[in-house]
Amino acid sequence: DALLSPPQNISILSTNMKHFLTWSPVIVQGETVKYSVEFQGEYEREYANETWIPISECSLTTATECNITEDISATVAYSLRVRAEVGARSSEWGTLQGFFNRITTSLTPPLMKVIADGYHLLVELEDLGPAFQFCVLYWKKGQERRVQQKVVKEVSSVVHLDTMEAGADYCVKAQTYIEAINRSSSFSQTQCVRAQGGTSMWLV
Amino acid sequence: LGSCRVPISMAEIRAGFNTIKANIQARDPIKTLSILSYPHSLHKLKSSDRCCITHHLFNFYVDKVFKHCKTEDSYVNRKISSIANSFLSVRRSLQQCHEQNKCLCGQESTEKLRQILVNYQGLNVTSAAIKSLGELDILLDWMEKS
Repeated sequence: DALLSPPQNISILSTNMKHFLTWSPVIVQGETVKYSVEFQGEYEREYANETWIPISECSLTTATECNITEDISATVAYSLRVRAEVGARSSEWGTLQGFFNRITTSLTPPLMKVIADGYHLLVELEDLGPAFQFCVLYWKKGQERRVQQKVVKEVSSVVHLDTMEAGADYCVKAQTYIEAINRSSSFSQTQCVRAQGGTSMWLV
Repeated sequence: LGSCRVPISMAEIRAGFNTIKANIQARDPIKTLSILSYPHSLHKLKSSDRCCITHHLFNFYVDKVFKHCKTEDSYVNRKISSIANSFLSVRRSLQQCHEQNKCLCGQESTEKLRQILVNYQGLNVTSAAIKSLGELDILLDWMEKS
């Protein structure tokens, strides 16, 4: 039996605190290759004899990616490794180059929808999970110096921002904030809406 | 924690612990003894000593407890790893406070920490570690309430 080569091109895709380990497939003619993933946190390296911990959801999987979000739940440096398995044969471990710390996750501006509900300025925010807070800035068009801010710690369906003046235009933009890594995304595109009402023509 | 500002993801630690709490506490046969609460509750301590107590208890868990909590259950081991790595991250911040003398211990707290070690050493190491891990909610409650 030829030696099974370890997976290559092992890398992390991490966006908005969702972390995935990915690798290139190992090709063995006529065989189904499976993979197993393990992780090691800083604690395991320094206090637990460098033990590795298997991720059961990614043990003997045919996928070439593994969702490691649930296990990367501390802001420390993690090592990750994956090996190929065909029947009783296993490859050497392929180890991620360097460490992964969730503090490096890439943060995207939040999706949001601004709603003018009569005189009420409302915003719907993307639910990105419990780790996310939102900083929402809003202002009356033309009064860019009087920007108001609202911090949204838990995403409910709709957030009430303000009561608008009739017929006026209001603008809104938002960014996410993750306390666990003390980082914010960039701001979303500004969206503006107009309150109902405004100058009505009285016919005499 | 007084003049010591430490970012602690309590929600994450609590969520991780809650998923294994019943499993861990079921492994602790000695219900009549508490490591963290005997003879007195943490809540009796002065709030001015909060930083010092938190610092020493995080050291206690990182240095003594987690390494003796390995189980046959892979999922439980993963959650213990999550908590241990979170504690390690927090401990680093607490250590900085300690070095800047913002985390000093009063006599009463020093005695309480000594008593916790006595309670811990009164059991065999695995039982003591599992019991201490099972009492994590006592620590988390105290940290959130005080």
